[in-house]
Amino acid sequence: MSSLYSKLISVIEEKITPMAGAVGQQKYVTSIRDGFILALPFMIVGSFMLVFIFPPFSPDTTWGFARAWLQFSINHRENLMLPFNFSMGIMTIFISVGVAASLARHHALDPLTSGMLSLMGFLLVAAPLKDGQISVAYFSGQGIFTALLVAIYTTELYALLKRNNITIRLPPEVPTGVARSFEILIPVLAVVLTLHPLNLFIEAQLGMIIPEAIMSLVKPLVAASDTLPAILLSVLVCQILWFAGIHGALIVTGIMNPFWMANLSVNQAAMAAGTAIPHIYVQGFWDHYLLIGGVGSTLPLAFLLMRSKAVHLRTIGRMGVVPGMFNINEPILFGAPIIMNPLFFLPFVLVPMVNASMAYFALDFGLVARVVSMTPWTTPGPIGASWAANWALSPMIMCLICMVTSAIMYYPFFKAFEKQLLDQEAGNTNPSNSVTQSATA
Amino acid sequence: MKKIMLCCSAGMSTSMLVKKMVEEADKRALEVDIKAFGVAEFEQQVGNYEVVLLGPQVKYMQKDLQNKASIYGIKVEPINMMDYGMQKGAAVLDFALSLIENNK
Repeated sequence: MSSLYSKLISVIEEKITPMAGAVGQQKYVTSIRDGFILALPFMIVGSFMLVFIFPPFSPDTTWGFARAWLQFSINHRENLMLPFNFSMGIMTIFISVGVAASLARHHALDPLTSGMLSLMGFLLVAAPLKDGQISVAYFSGQGIFTALLVAIYTTELYALLKRNNITIRLPPEVPTGVARSFEILIPVLAVVLTLHPLNLFIEAQLGMIIPEAIMSLVKPLVAASDTLPAILLSVLVCQILWFAGIHGALIVTGIMNPFWMANLSVNQAAMAAGTAIPHIYVQGFWDHYLLIGGVGSTLPLAFLLMRSKAVHLRTIGRMGVVPGMFNINEPILFGAPIIMNPLFFLPFVLVPMVNASMAYFALDFGLVARVVSMTPWTTPGPIGASWAANWALSPMIMCLICMVTSAIMYYPFFKAFEKQLLDQEAGNTNPSNSVTQSATA
Repeated sequence: MKKIMLCCSAGMSTSMLVKKMVEEADKRALEVDIKAFGVAEFEQQVGNYEVVLLGPQVKYMQKDLQNKASIYGIKVEPINMMDYGMQKGAAVLDFALSLIENNK
């Protein structure tokens, strides 16, 4: 066991860590992630509007207040939808600006200029203008991959031109502000002259515009992203990296986000149309069933630790339980520790995978309401699960069940670790020095 | 005034440690400016500080971040895992101060 474990650790350190570092710091992965972070508040507030549009009451309710709300929502549907339409409905606008601005930092370009350049590029290929009307069909999840590609393309093009000093040069007497406004002319022109003909060409050849073509290309991938194997694989990668002390969620969510967003927008469209919600695996599923109290679902473990007989574990439990409620669990992970602790390898990896499977089937069989809302990842598990599913009750119950299974699975390993520590404390006449000292500090 | 920057993925868990470090510095009547940031803000912020401490979970970014910090001649070092987990404000503050001292 111990030699197997040391072998595992050396594989992690020699192979996985550099690889995770390479992926996690890859400029496109980080720019996409940071761009989504910039777009997130708009989507959270926009999603929040769904509650006003679709209040969490059954249509045949007899409660007066609920009836009045439902009637109000039906009467004012269009006005209520507006904030939603101009946030979630045009998410690609925020994403295209956000991703380009984040990528601009890698090239030391002006983020605002890069964002605007990307926005124009995106509109050129994704917003067909007919009879003075813009089609917004690709402004939502359907256009997400196009927005990402265009953001990367326009920013790289801008960087390339800047690197090679291809710009309009003005005499040094011209004020810098004026010179700067001329500097961007060539990149704008280059974007127009490349993307517009490309779009026209693709439309003529394939009979569809670029976002349509891209969406049909990535369709199998998007479909695959919403299956149990995809869930299990993404969780497994995240857990193994985290066990090695690497922020695995940062890497996994960076890759999964575009898929989650695309699927979320489909779910919301289905809700608005009153049809069945198709997708299971979106952000809210990850956050509120698999990361209850943070990666590894350690909140139930924190409750166990709080009542431990070992002083060290009790201290960690008390310290970690409140941040854990808001899904921040570094004190538990590094303090217990769980990271690199062979005793905790199995439950740490398996707990979220077991919970993922249970939740997947519960949602698949229609026992639990599916995610239709964007929620902040710091929302406490059961509340977040309910919020994400438009305040349905079933997700809250599902989340609580996941917490119970987590506690049950962690328990024997926690007990074994506790025994180890207690033996140490008893065997050591100057009671396990650093541990108890810090516990009383 | 000692200027210390902490950095993790979103600046959330490091901000908890910042609180402990500031408490400890107050106890020692030490003038400090300690703040936590997410890695996305690293480049904008790093120039305002004398040393950067990384949450152990983003240790894998050390090389890259060190390159960016070297422009300002400052060090980027990961925080000891146990100190981080136990939120030992005193130990981490000492670590930061020693890095600033050795860098002179």
